Amino acid sequence: MIVVVTGLPRSGTSLMMQMLHAGGFPVLCDDQRPADDSNPAGYFEFEPIRRIDRDQSWLALAEGKAVKVVSPLLRYLPASQDYRLIFMARDLRETLRSQKTMLIRRGIDDGLNDSAMADHFSRHLTEIRQWIRKQDRFTVLDCDYARLVADPASGVDSVCDFLGVPLGRQAMRDVIRPELYRQRSEPEQ
Amino acid sequence: MFEPRIRIDRELHRQVEEVARQAGYSSVEEFVTHLLEKAVADARQSQSEQDVRQRLKGLGYIE
Repeated sequence: MIVVVTGLPRSGTSLMMQMLHAGGFPVLCDDQRPADDSNPAGYFEFEPIRRIDRDQSWLALAEGKAVKVVSPLLRYLPASQDYRLIFMARDLRETLRSQKTMLIRRGIDDGLNDSAMADHFSRHLTEIRQWIRKQDRFTVLDCDYARLVADPASGVDSVCDFLGVPLGRQAMRDVIRPELYRQRSEPEQ
Repeated sequence: MFEPRIRIDRELHRQVEEVARQAGYSSVEEFVTHLLEKAVADARQSQSEQDVRQRLKGLGYIE
């Protein structure tokens, strides 16, 4: 079994990887991208995923582990494997704000318009979910970031039930720090 | 209300008419509208993919 933690960039994928790691589930990551202000607890990323469109030779290393693959790259996962996807969902406005903050921290202005990016990502999420549903190789758990932070116990339970392996639930809950949920949207009236 | 009109070369129009009929369209307008809708959707999709790639690159998720 390969567990893929996915979602848009800045939707809580690093937090989920951190939870799995804390709970004792093996994760495939390296130290190429160290913790910073955008992800104080670390990114839990695996450098070769950045080249997933042309090199999937790392896949054998992922067996029995969790690996982070952001949703726009999911289509590059080899069809030869079955995957359990933990799909992180987060309010798109929060996600975009968080992406913007991270770009600023990296000193990058990509010149892309928020409204256009919201349309692109919204369409992408619809299309990728339709695509996933058509593939037999994916089993999916949807995980809402805001709900996870608001109710860690339920979130952790659903992840453990989904994976069907004994994990340190308290340790998983302990890594969820509401103070790091920094781009909250006001609830709509 | 006037509908927008587009001028095209007479010979090209003749060929479009022929292809539209062969493809089973009920009119040249229907055929051309379909082609233009597809062209616009393709261009938007391409721009969207390009923008997403640029954002992923900026955030460090792809090379």
